[in-house]
Amino acid sequence: MARTARSSNSGADTVLLIVCLVLALIAVVLPGDMRRPVAEALRRSALAPLLKLQGAAERGRAAIAQHDATVVDRDSMAVRAMTIASLESENERLRRILGLAQRLRWGFVSAEVLHGKGLGEEFTVALTAGDAAGVRRLSPVVAPEGLVGMVTSTDPQTAQAIVWSHPDFRVSAMSTDGKAFGIVRPHIGGTGASRYLLEMSNVPFRNSLATGALIVSSGLGGTYPRGIPIGTVMQELTTAEGWARTYLIRPSVSPGDVTSVMVLSPQKVQTGVASVWTSVAAADSAARAIANAGDDAARRAALAELAARHAVTDSMSVDDSTDVNESGVRPPRPPAPGDSTLRAQKPGDSVVRAPRPTSPGDTTVRRRRRRPPADSVPPVAAPPRAP
Amino acid sequence: MNTSRAIKGLVVFAVLVTLHYTLRPLLGWRAPVDFLIIAVLLMAVRVRPGAAAVVGLLSGIAADALTPESFGTGALAFTAVAYLASWLKAVFFADNFALNGIFFFLGKWAADLVIVLAERRLHGLDLLQQVLLWSPLSALVTSAAGLVLLVVLRPLLDEPAVA
Repeated sequence: MARTARSSNSGADTVLLIVCLVLALIAVVLPGDMRRPVAEALRRSALAPLLKLQGAAERGRAAIAQHDATVVDRDSMAVRAMTIASLESENERLRRILGLAQRLRWGFVSAEVLHGKGLGEEFTVALTAGDAAGVRRLSPVVAPEGLVGMVTSTDPQTAQAIVWSHPDFRVSAMSTDGKAFGIVRPHIGGTGASRYLLEMSNVPFRNSLATGALIVSSGLGGTYPRGIPIGTVMQELTTAEGWARTYLIRPSVSPGDVTSVMVLSPQKVQTGVASVWTSVAAADSAARAIANAGDDAARRAALAELAARHAVTDSMSVDDSTDVNESGVRPPRPPAPGDSTLRAQKPGDSVVRAPRPTSPGDTTVRRRRRRPPADSVPPVAAPPRAP
Repeated sequence: MNTSRAIKGLVVFAVLVTLHYTLRPLLGWRAPVDFLIIAVLLMAVRVRPGAAAVVGLLSGIAADALTPESFGTGALAFTAVAYLASWLKAVFFADNFALNGIFFFLGKWAADLVIVLAERRLHGLDLLQQVLLWSPLSALVTSAAGLVLLVVLRPLLDEPAVA
């Protein structure tokens, strides 16, 4: 009985084997155009989830294989991203340099600053322009932010300059309103971060400077032309001198960050650079004012004011001959619509000008320049000693 | 073969088929591990030779679906190997690691031989290189993987049925 069952099982196995072999052989000998639909049907039905798994595994393997290259690419991108900030700042600085060059128009030599080893304090820098380019000894070195230093020696291709942190640096300075004069020098006595500040000494006791007031070169002494920004007042220093005040000044220029500068020629120093930096401040404040006055009401008010100004201008032009005949003074030309300056009215001026409202941040109002009292003129800045 | 044993066998088979379509492409070796032949061999020793032939046929057809140009060769090879494995299960799977390793090695090598010869794609030196180098290497790796899987899946693998 058992033998019969075993033999029948063997027979069934043999039959199954033969059937399977025949089916496999049929699959082998199937023509190509019949194999492909069968294989495709299998891939789309029973094998679809498995093939999806295999696809994911293949992608994983590709990701593993590309991992190193991806890491290299990512690191390269990271390095590039790290340099973007410096490139942006350099780009901004070059744009400002270009803007300063357009305002100066002539009488300057552009140069790159070659810093030293970067060890400790650097009082001198090398410039990539020398005698051949027109750089002369004692020429001021300026940047878009303000005064950097002064050329101390030149050769045909390069020049050496001291920056304001040099112990021998001196510049005659004044406040922008021309009320307070003094001598600006490095804050030698300072320690730590205050070592990198300036101090303005010999300011007459009756003249006080507000915190944040801009200090510019006064033009006295002939080395530095008038109007180059030096820094802003931080605070008044307590000194033993009772007849003069001393102020701590935050420099406009950080020598370590300066990369491109301009060396002013002697002719430019004589001619002066007045309004080069102040016009920049005026333009900036005007731009800010325009940006702030974005609402329609303010715009309408400005238009109404402009119309009123035109009306006054027209009436003045009509009465022009009468004014000249009566007072003998030709009235000044009315301001153009785009004029950003506003002059204070003269006491004897017969022409009435409509004052233009200014925004809080507007610094475009220029007052009549007052000459300082004779006793308040500080001594002329002495040229620095040879380092 | 009771129900529990059948379910365990199917679970092992499913795990190995899944490994064949995930771990094998992920490793991407030149001499790959053939988890499908391990699954067929482990299943074959637990069923009768006729059923093993059917399992081999279906597995081979599944493997051939990705290579329509050599469609049917895998089915032919797996059918033959599965039937022989089931017929020889009394000899192998005597809970001896060396014998089981040889079983996996011979099963994989034999399947590769049948496939390569049935395909008639390789000739001359390429055929010899495949038969005598890459196929034995793949069989060796498959054998090692099979032994590892035997240890790992021991709770699911009962004693093979004796014919």
